[in-house]
Amino acid sequence: MENSQGSVWVLAEQIDCQILGVSFQLIGQARKLADELGTSVESVLLGDHIQEQARLLIAAGADKVYLGNSPQLEFYQPEIYCEMIVNLARERQPAIMLIGSTFMGRELAPLVAARLQTGLTAHCIDLVLDENKILDAKIPAYGGLLSIMCPQKRPQMATVAQGVFPKPELDETRTGEIIPLDVPVDISRRIQTLEVVREATDGVALESAPVVVAGGAGAGDPEGWSKIADLARALNAALGSTRPAVDEGWADLETMIGQSGKVVSPELYIGVGLSGEQQHMVGINNAQVMVAINNDAKSPVFEQVDYGIVDDCREFVPALIKKIKEYQEKKVTC
Amino acid sequence: MIDFTFTEEQEMFRKAASEFAETSVAPHVAEMEKTGEVSDEVVKALGEAEMMALTIPEDFGGLGLGYTARMIALEEISRISVATAMMLQVFALGIEPIVQSGSDELKKKYLPALAKGERLSTTAVTEATGGSDPTGIRTSYKKDGDDFIVNGRKCFITNSHIADTINILTKSEDDPKLFCVFTIDRDMDGWRATHKEHKVGMRGCNTGELAFENLRIPKSQLLGEEGKGLRVSMAAIGDVGRGGMVGCALGLQVACLEESVKFANERILYGKPISALPAIQNKLAEMKIELEAGRLLAYRAAALQDKGQRSSNEFAVAKYFTCEAAQKAAKMAVDIHGGYGCMEEYAVTRFLRDSFVLGPSAGTSDIMKVIIGRWVLA
Amino acid sequence: MLNIIVCVKAVPDPKEACNIKIDPHSKTLMRCDVPLVVNPLDKNAMEAALQLKEQFDVHISVLSMGPPEAGNIVKECLALGADQGFLLCDPAFGGADAYATAFTLAKGIEKIGAYDVIICGMASSDGSTEWVGPEIAAILNIPVVTMVKEIVESDRDRWKVKASLENGYRLMQVKLPAVFTVTRDLNTPRTLSFSGIIKARTKEITRWAISDLGVPAEAVGLKGSPTIVSELSSTESKREAEIIAGTREEKAEFLVQKLADVGVL
Repeated sequence: MENSQGSVWVLAEQIDCQILGVSFQLIGQARKLADELGTSVESVLLGDHIQEQARLLIAAGADKVYLGNSPQLEFYQPEIYCEMIVNLARERQPAIMLIGSTFMGRELAPLVAARLQTGLTAHCIDLVLDENKILDAKIPAYGGLLSIMCPQKRPQMATVAQGVFPKPELDETRTGEIIPLDVPVDISRRIQTLEVVREATDGVALESAPVVVAGGAGAGDPEGWSKIADLARALNAALGSTRPAVDEGWADLETMIGQSGKVVSPELYIGVGLSGEQQHMVGINNAQVMVAINNDAKSPVFEQVDYGIVDDCREFVPALIKKIKEYQEKKVTC
Repeated sequence: MIDFTFTEEQEMFRKAASEFAETSVAPHVAEMEKTGEVSDEVVKALGEAEMMALTIPEDFGGLGLGYTARMIALEEISRISVATAMMLQVFALGIEPIVQSGSDELKKKYLPALAKGERLSTTAVTEATGGSDPTGIRTSYKKDGDDFIVNGRKCFITNSHIADTINILTKSEDDPKLFCVFTIDRDMDGWRATHKEHKVGMRGCNTGELAFENLRIPKSQLLGEEGKGLRVSMAAIGDVGRGGMVGCALGLQVACLEESVKFANERILYGKPISALPAIQNKLAEMKIELEAGRLLAYRAAALQDKGQRSSNEFAVAKYFTCEAAQKAAKMAVDIHGGYGCMEEYAVTRFLRDSFVLGPSAGTSDIMKVIIGRWVLA
Repeated sequence: MLNIIVCVKAVPDPKEACNIKIDPHSKTLMRCDVPLVVNPLDKNAMEAALQLKEQFDVHISVLSMGPPEAGNIVKECLALGADQGFLLCDPAFGGADAYATAFTLAKGIEKIGAYDVIICGMASSDGSTEWVGPEIAAILNIPVVTMVKEIVESDRDRWKVKASLENGYRLMQVKLPAVFTVTRDLNTPRTLSFSGIIKARTKEITRWAISDLGVPAEAVGLKGSPTIVSELSSTESKREAEIIAGTREEKAEFLVQKLADVGVL
């Protein structure tokens, strides 16, 4: 039943036996690409106690799931994971391989790509096929979009962030094949994951927040940043950031919105002290209302939002918080 | 062909100084403005960043980098804080007479600690009766065996209350043509820092008075030859002092221009940023022209100084030009800010106040013209 | 002695990089004169190496691939305290994607010879791919840990590091030689010092061209890159901001009203 055209692969990821949202989203997009190519969607899932989860990938649109199910695979182990995927890919020759831009994906994808001596496009914001059925991976750059292609080598690899593609409907009646994988025995053990620690996060989760306040370099210093954080608190909003704010050390990498960070779809987005760089703005998907506060009237951010405030955010944000509090008090007393 | 470009290394010095100013000085500016006091953290950071070592020879624990490097450092630091640049420039003014005229013994005694910032220095010339005309000073010395006894007062001395290694110009009690410069330090009895001034600008840079009462100084502390002290102090002030002020003025010019450009792009009038208005562009262009011209004068004089040539006249021209230009730039920056230019939370108000302190330091613009006049007539 | 190789990249100054734009008509890059600087995360990589050098007997080599001007940023790393600099510089290296870059750097690393630890910044500020570090590891067939935020143990032949994960970290044990890519959480990079710049006067930068690496031209640069950038398109924004006029209070008032209108307040 193999097509001459290799299949579309998704390297699925699980944490605590739960498949990540981005993996399902990629299955959805892989389905579209595979239908257009006339080929199948195949997924690789590695973990422990995850037989049941494998079915969900089929429900989401996969035709085949290669399942590695073993205590040795409970956590992401770079050497074993990479070896299993590379061996399988050499054997099966997929045309396309997609991975979520998660911490694991961002390490595993280049390891696999380099072993297969193929190309890997980072953090795409769209995946389409060109007229020759070559994968056209779009990434934002220099205020526009670049098409990155891998015309000769296979598989054509790309990473995609959570939230770029919608989650497909799960169809429990779909059928597919689950093929168990053996864990290779003679793997070098130069590197081991000793422990995985997840810390509870405070504040509102970015990905699902109805209101997102994002701050950028315009905050100026930690004090300026804390004012933006105050604004987020006043609005019960999730606090996001740009790369410069992360680079300055005001914000955690976890809060970064954009191409190499998170993708958000809030009802309201307020960008504070940021210039509207593409790499950040592509992380805001389908926001209903967008507001920007920036002291430079010529800032490109004002070409990308609905309402613009030209003012020093360090001065304006406290004034805004004051007005918000006044409004809230008035509302309570009414 | 004259090469007007900085070397790769000098560009790296600029980067180093700029990074230093932004990370170690900028966070303290607000506090210095508020209290008017010297920030211990800034002084410590200057020492750790080897900023006091620039002009001290390598043999005595310095970096021996000379005056172009110093000018670069001062410009970058002044861009963030004129007060800090002023303090630093006067440390060098305190160091220079020891480097130029000190005995080997004195150099060994003071320079390594000065280079590390463990000791802080200044040179004290000005008195109520003479500064630009140093012959008018009244602080006197008389010989007592191998020692000298000094009495008198100095005023408007930068770093007066933080310096512990001070070169003082004194006049012979017996012969008004004879002067001596001595290096005094904290360990000596008979002198103290008295009154602290409250300047209109450069807050965070200490200025004040020194009083000497039967201060006994051993002969080993004498700089240069006995009686020839005027030359010792003037050599330092004419080149290093004046040159330092030029660095401070340049940095302020840069700051005024940067802040003006930023504001002009932010402030909307008639639906457009005011930077679109010819009146504003005209001011920005003037500031840029004077900055470029000032830099040429400044770095040319510093290059002469590095070659070991006399540069005090060239620095007089550069000081006149850059200090006047900095004052004009500060006025224009305030004007561009409109009403905000009167509000203390805007940096330009500090620039305006700082600009007025640049003028009189190391000789007013009128004095510069006197010097330049003498130069052309000589 | 522990031999550390720090890989650094010259990138357009991120503070000014927003000035680089696509001309909407010609689809070419409109590039103002943006100066090259050390990629910010590579400074964390340098700092990690320098901190180890303060504790142990460490030799730091800095390796970069780039145009001749990238020599300046190698020099800057020498001024920060690295011992030796290497610049892979050849027109043939131009246009390299992440894989070709990693391949060329890996060849440079093999030519340098002695290495126990290779440290890279987690990503570059211009390209934003994070592939070069792990791809170097794959090509050299040594382990890698990406996004290291803490070095827990740094024994002579085995390191324990914490690496960032979604809402947490993983504790990894790695046998050397290995590649580590670092995040900005790892440390605060030191700034340049005047004496460091002076010390760098006598430190050498070795420049290697393609002939020095002994690799075929097809393996490097544009020719050795599996990926190609096929099209540069400008994006049209669907929004245009209504700029709110008035005093600060009026603007805040207006915004609060808007927030109330959309039901946020």
